[in-house]
Amino acid sequence: MTKPATTLAEADAMRTSARYVMRLYITGSTPNSTRAIANVRHICEEYLDGRYDLEVLDIARNPALAADAQIIAAPTLVRISPLPVRRFIGDMSRRDSILLGLGLRPIVGRPA
Amino acid sequence: MNPKPTSKAAVLLENQELQARLDEAEEMLGAIGRGEADALVIENGAGPKVYTIEGDEAAANRFRSDMLAMVSDAIIAVDENERVIYINTAAERLYGFPASSALGRKLTEVRTALWPSVEKEAAAMALYRRHGEWRGEKIHILNDGRVLDIESSISALKGRDGQPGGRLAVMRDVTARNKREEEVLISEIRYRRLFESAHDGILILDPGTRKIVDANPYMTQMLGYSHAELAGKELFEIGLLKDKAASQDMVRKLRETREVRYDNLPLETRTGRHQDVEVVANLYDENGHPVIQCNIRDITERRRAGEHVKLLMAEVNHRAKNLLAVVQAFAHQTAKYGDPATFTARLSDRIDGLAAGQDLLVRNQWLGVDVADLVAVQLAHFKDLIGTRVLIEGPRALTLNMAAAQGIGMALHELATNAAKYGALSNRDGTVHIGWQVTNAAKPTFSMSWREDGGPVVVPPTRKGFGQIVIGRMAEAAVEGEAEIVFRESGLSWHLSAPAENALAQTEPYSQTRQPHDGG
Repeated sequence: MTKPATTLAEADAMRTSARYVMRLYITGSTPNSTRAIANVRHICEEYLDGRYDLEVLDIARNPALAADAQIIAAPTLVRISPLPVRRFIGDMSRRDSILLGLGLRPIVGRPA
Repeated sequence: MNPKPTSKAAVLLENQELQARLDEAEEMLGAIGRGEADALVIENGAGPKVYTIEGDEAAANRFRSDMLAMVSDAIIAVDENERVIYINTAAERLYGFPASSALGRKLTEVRTALWPSVEKEAAAMALYRRHGEWRGEKIHILNDGRVLDIESSISALKGRDGQPGGRLAVMRDVTARNKREEEVLISEIRYRRLFESAHDGILILDPGTRKIVDANPYMTQMLGYSHAELAGKELFEIGLLKDKAASQDMVRKLRETREVRYDNLPLETRTGRHQDVEVVANLYDENGHPVIQCNIRDITERRRAGEHVKLLMAEVNHRAKNLLAVVQAFAHQTAKYGDPATFTARLSDRIDGLAAGQDLLVRNQWLGVDVADLVAVQLAHFKDLIGTRVLIEGPRALTLNMAAAQGIGMALHELATNAAKYGALSNRDGTVHIGWQVTNAAKPTFSMSWREDGGPVVVPPTRKGFGQIVIGRMAEAAVEGEAEIVFRESGLSWHLSAPAENALAQTEPYSQTRQPHDGG
């Protein structure tokens, strides 16, 4: 697992080269869940071409999965790697906020 | 959480964690507020429990999802961007793709679909656009390389606004079924060909009605009825069985023994011609339906062949007796006329000559022997001289009947033996001319001659030996003709003549052209 970035340079390197391991917890094929799946896959294909593992887990079928990952609502996207673990709740349609939270948006306008 | 932070770093870390949790809780509340969350997970003593927060619709969705998950057909739903938004357990199994990996992927990453042809693809697309659904077969190539025949039913999905929003596909792997169907088709073609090309008549009957339901081409040919005329008729109506009672009797017997055989039935064709046939009827089960199959074989040829064999056996018997009588006479006469010291050798030599003639007869099924062949066989010892010192001249394809072949064959053998011992073939220069012909007269005459020249000076014998009887009386008897033997000083000459009808086989057209013979 990649260790957390501590400098802007490291954050930028993580954004462009680290391998992302993520899990998306959904509840069946509800509109929010299907939207979340599509939105996350879209982000992965656009920003993480070939360097991501995404698992989509249905907690409606298997609630125990939610307990293991301390999920409190669905849909939830969990970034497991790179660290730190980050969680996002909702249908993942707030793209800017998700990209920022995942560390996939270039950080500009702040001193190093 | 540690109640007493021990260092600044630890306090910062704890603070960071708390902040993250707070952010997460805020985000959750925001998501619920925006209607983006479907469920909350609440831990209790019994473990986690998922509480839906969209009410009845979400529950109904989940119920539908649970139902689809249990269906044995593979089901995949994609959104308007071709991304997988639902995949049931059967589809996971079929494509070897777990839902966790397939969801959100482009459908083309899960499998590659091929259409049987460009035309079929265009027709399917047109139907789908017009009716919002399509059903048919496609070929799916899986990621592990397997190729499957898939029967699909595809329906358009509509979004909440009523606009098209993706599609739902229900799929069934029909590869094994198609393979079985193909095997059945191949089998049908193969056995249909056997039925169509069989050189036995085959009739298929319904045991319930006793009526013909199918007939092969050979049967229609044999009877002179068309297929349509045969269909619906009972066997007695086509003259195969005597009457309705016989037809009923056959079916009754078939139900008891499953096979009935009639060795010799007189079949009457449409034109009234009679044919001897053998009928073997079997009662079979065709997928739960009983059918009668009758194999009808024309045994006219077989009967004719049987009769011919009988005839041949009688002929062989007669010939054998005849031959034994000749051998007996040979033995008797050889002993009577010759030197007792050379009896065995002379008898054996004569029997050899007789056997050579018999071989020719057997080869021609006792129908006769070609004169040229007979001469060649009896002069086999002198074949090196043929064309130089033995000159043969006579028409080809002239067939002697059996008695003539035997009598003339023995005479030629005696003449050749005599020539080698005492006559033209006993020195270095003598020659033998052998000739035969049929005269072109109102009553054709067959004649054959043997003339020796250039051998030792001939002295007429003082007494008549057995050889002279063979070339004289016996040859005359064989053709009911006349033999002339002249002991010229320059060589022996022998001439035999008889009415052609006595000497020649009846079926042989008489050839009247004389032509040189190569003796072969």
